Amino acid sequence: MSAGVDSHIVSLRDVRRDYALGAERVHALQGVTLDVERGDYVAIVGPSGCGKSTLLNLIGVIDQPTSGTVAIAGRRVDAMSDREATQFRLRNIGFVFQRFYLLPILSALENVALPMAEAKVSKGVRTERAAELLKYVGLGNRERHRPSELSGGEQQRVAIARALANGPTLLLADEPTGELDARTGAEIISLFQRLNADGTTIVVVTHDEDLASAARRKVHMRDGRVVDA
Amino acid sequence: MLLAALLASLLVQGSASVGRAPVPAAAPAIERRTIAIDEAFAARAHLKIGDLVSVSSRPGAIGDTVTVGAIVRRGADPSEVARGDLRVRMHLDQLQTIAGYGDRVDRFAIATTPAADIPRLIDRINRVAFGFKAYRSRDIAVETSRTFQVVSRFHRAIGIITIVASSVFLLCIMVLKVEERRRDIAALRLMGISRATVVRAIVLEAAVVAVLGSALGVVLGWVVSLFVNWHYQALYRTPLEFSMVTPPTVVFAVSLSLALGIVAGVVASLRLVRTPPLALFGR
Repeated sequence: MSAGVDSHIVSLRDVRRDYALGAERVHALQGVTLDVERGDYVAIVGPSGCGKSTLLNLIGVIDQPTSGTVAIAGRRVDAMSDREATQFRLRNIGFVFQRFYLLPILSALENVALPMAEAKVSKGVRTERAAELLKYVGLGNRERHRPSELSGGEQQRVAIARALANGPTLLLADEPTGELDARTGAEIISLFQRLNADGTTIVVVTHDEDLASAARRKVHMRDGRVVDA
Repeated sequence: MLLAALLASLLVQGSASVGRAPVPAAAPAIERRTIAIDEAFAARAHLKIGDLVSVSSRPGAIGDTVTVGAIVRRGADPSEVARGDLRVRMHLDQLQTIAGYGDRVDRFAIATTPAADIPRLIDRINRVAFGFKAYRSRDIAVETSRTFQVVSRFHRAIGIITIVASSVFLLCIMVLKVEERRRDIAALRLMGISRATVVRAIVLEAAVVAVLGSALGVVLGWVVSLFVNWHYQALYRTPLEFSMVTPPTVVFAVSLSLALGIVAGVVASLRLVRTPPLALFGR
């Protein structure tokens, strides 16, 4: 399947997403059209319940639209099977979550190497790359530490390194500074800016004004619609 | 006839009694007959080797003064454990005199050589010894251990109930423990970790935990067995082993635990991976 709009990393056309909530239907997205260029850094902002996370889920290939088309890196992803979507996410999308979700029994290095193991990267290569990524996010000296031995900011940096493990086309972040204090949040914002400057395409959903302001572009949403892109 | 020995180990019953004999102040050196008593008797009567005791047919009657020549440990016979009999072994002729039985006996045992044709021997005894019935000791043991067979079946039933109940418990615990990690698993799924990998990881973890748990259980069982045997062997003064952790028991325990762990892991992990990641996140 091809989207036909290959110059964009993300291309959504008239996307709607409805949910059944009891007898009612909730229209979470009501005809969203959005493009994200390669190397862009987009912050999706808006009040709670406006559809930001739903939009991120569709871009992240973890949900499917009720109607409309979604293409990531030139490939239609709006009707993939679970197996295809899982493989696609593994190779093309890096996720950063608000609560890090590192595996507590693994070291920082092992957490970063995990997606590469799933992608069948050889052990030597993934260990080397995981170490490089940890160095990139400023945790070269914390490779052997478990998540419980790291601060919140450090855990989030490990999570970012993990998201970059398989060289994703797109980095998605859902409130990445939501669990961090202002100073640590600023470090993460700075890291995102450096990542983007080094060529990573980033889409972030946030309520954090500082994080949104650091993006190249803000997409404002309200009531399931993009009101200002 | 393969008669090897006639064991005069008849129980001293109601018609005979054993009591501590008064020691004369300057008794002339007499070579006394000896008796052997079992440990339980020695402990209860505070007797030791060399003590003089009087054996008679009735309590208080004039009897023979004999020396305790040996204190013997009972054999490992489960049927004797709870009976509380006290055993005295004496020379047959003396026993015959004291018991007033003459040369009559209720029962006697014949020891055979390993190569003996026992069925033929039993057949010959039964043909020539009128009024006697010969049995193999193994058959007597089976006959007298019927109670223990019932107890054993009862234990087996308790064991099966315990295994079934603990399986359900293990399964519930496993499901709950895996449920606690639903968000971690959701994050893994979002990162592109496949369902198969998640199931494999959870099942592997469950198997390792099951094996380690069963190994711990085996060690604990072995320690408890040591204590149980030490306590009851002392209580009943018997070499009988009341509790055993045998290699087949260990193999069975570890295998069962591993199988249950794997089943619990599969059930728990399938429940999670069949749920969409967003639902696992509660969205």
